[in-house]
Amino acid sequence: MQLKRKPVGATLAAATCSLLGSLPAAPAAAQEAKDWNVDTSLLYYGEDNGRVEDVSLLASIRRAFDEDRTLAATLTIDSLTGATPNGAVPANVPQTFTGPSGGGSYTVAPGEQPLDTTFLDTRVALSASWQQALGNSTRWSVGFSGSDEYDYLHLGLDARLERDFNLRNTTAFIGVAYGQDEIKPVGGIPVGLAPMGGEVEDDGEDDDDGDDDGSERGRDADGSKDVADLLVGVTQILSRRSLLEVAYSYGQADGYLTDPYKILSVVDPVTGVPVAGSEDEVPYLYLYENRPDSRTKQSLFAEWRYAFDRDSFALNVRFMDDDWGVQSQTAEARYRWNINDRSYLEPHLRWYTQSAADFYRTVLFAEDAVPGFATADYRLADLDAYTIGAKYGLRTDRGEFSLRLEYYQQSPTESPGSAAGDLAGFDLTPDMKAVIVQFGYKFDF
Amino acid sequence: MTSCDCSTPPATPRRRVRAAAALASLAAAAAVFTAGCAGVEPWERDLHARADMAADVHDAAIDDHIYFSKEASSGGRSFAGGGCGCN
Repeated sequence: MQLKRKPVGATLAAATCSLLGSLPAAPAAAQEAKDWNVDTSLLYYGEDNGRVEDVSLLASIRRAFDEDRTLAATLTIDSLTGATPNGAVPANVPQTFTGPSGGGSYTVAPGEQPLDTTFLDTRVALSASWQQALGNSTRWSVGFSGSDEYDYLHLGLDARLERDFNLRNTTAFIGVAYGQDEIKPVGGIPVGLAPMGGEVEDDGEDDDDGDDDGSERGRDADGSKDVADLLVGVTQILSRRSLLEVAYSYGQADGYLTDPYKILSVVDPVTGVPVAGSEDEVPYLYLYENRPDSRTKQSLFAEWRYAFDRDSFALNVRFMDDDWGVQSQTAEARYRWNINDRSYLEPHLRWYTQSAADFYRTVLFAEDAVPGFATADYRLADLDAYTIGAKYGLRTDRGEFSLRLEYYQQSPTESPGSAAGDLAGFDLTPDMKAVIVQFGYKFDF
Repeated sequence: MTSCDCSTPPATPRRRVRAAAALASLAAAAAVFTAGCAGVEPWERDLHARADMAADVHDAAIDDHIYFSKEASSGGRSFAGGGCGCN
């Protein structure tokens, strides 16, 4: 999430130069003509009601040096705009929220879902990997990933080993990844479950570097987290037409896992009206969210693919469970209709459901004790979602062009007992609808 | 209230049971695949060699990023990772 816009044009230009600069200056020799694979996409993701919009440019390039060695790299540039729910619930009165830096504010009309309209972001991500054979049946790879936003930096390393057995009908793999993320929110790291605007008053002066890192208000300037993942699995050819992949993953995240920009409303348990705040600028009481500083996830994934004479079908499922109380199930199906040698149509369906985190609260009540952890982030609520869409591809002598259109809808559910008094008249967790449009172009040379 | 049976081992945490169940499922599945499949000879892999039988990693990466940003789950096919302060 970000609050200042970076010059997108300059970023795009730099990215394009860097990509082109990595291409060979002269056409490769005939026998190397297909050693390079380039896959590019321009993606639009847009939510309804003026919420998040993302325009994203992705470019993947892959170079096979021989049958045994491959270098791959992907560059992604995201430009995000729009508004995102800040966690507070609607009220029968106008609600004013302070910006994260203590200065600036935005007001939400009665009955409207409070959306934080102050974020803008540009994200640049780069990943690269090297894969190499180790004998006839074993391959290893190492990779690097990094991404940079105005207030967020990610750096990661990963490694993977895979080995074929059983006349290459079976491939077993194991991978590990480690990432370190640093978050430096505008206005610093708020104290979890402290009142918004209720901390030490900002004197209005920025520190020496001109940014508001919260130090003026006694906040830490940044937080960090470490994420470690283990992935083990097997791919098995079941018959001439089908194969099955099964993977188990275990992930451990430690550090600052809270969203520094999210808050919770505190309301009267009978009337549902927001409780008065102590500050003139913040007439109602809102608390910053607070999440545990560790999270363990595990998931089991399986995909089955089947080839018809002309078409193919893929079905995958995933079961995820974490120690925050979230359990999720995902099912996804794709049918690839190979219309002819040059074109295909691929309908896609995805279904997803998750249970709420133990500490998810749509709203807090004034008479209750403040819990140790609480979030009103709908992404940790009881949630159902589905995606329906299709991709069309056309192969030409110049490469393959594709267009993907998808519709995504989420339906969160409020925590039990949230609709007290006036709140019963509002949709506390409205559905979110989004469209995804992706133009693709890929070619080999 | 009756006194506890101290010879009973302490209850295994729910998470460890789930982890053990998941690993057992994986091992069982692997055993079934390898034992139950007679094996497809290399010259019978023409359909598996078709491009549409391979996962589209480019689109998968795009989808992973979207759903990672909007849902509480991530990974499965690949690393769950982190990497954005997503809205």
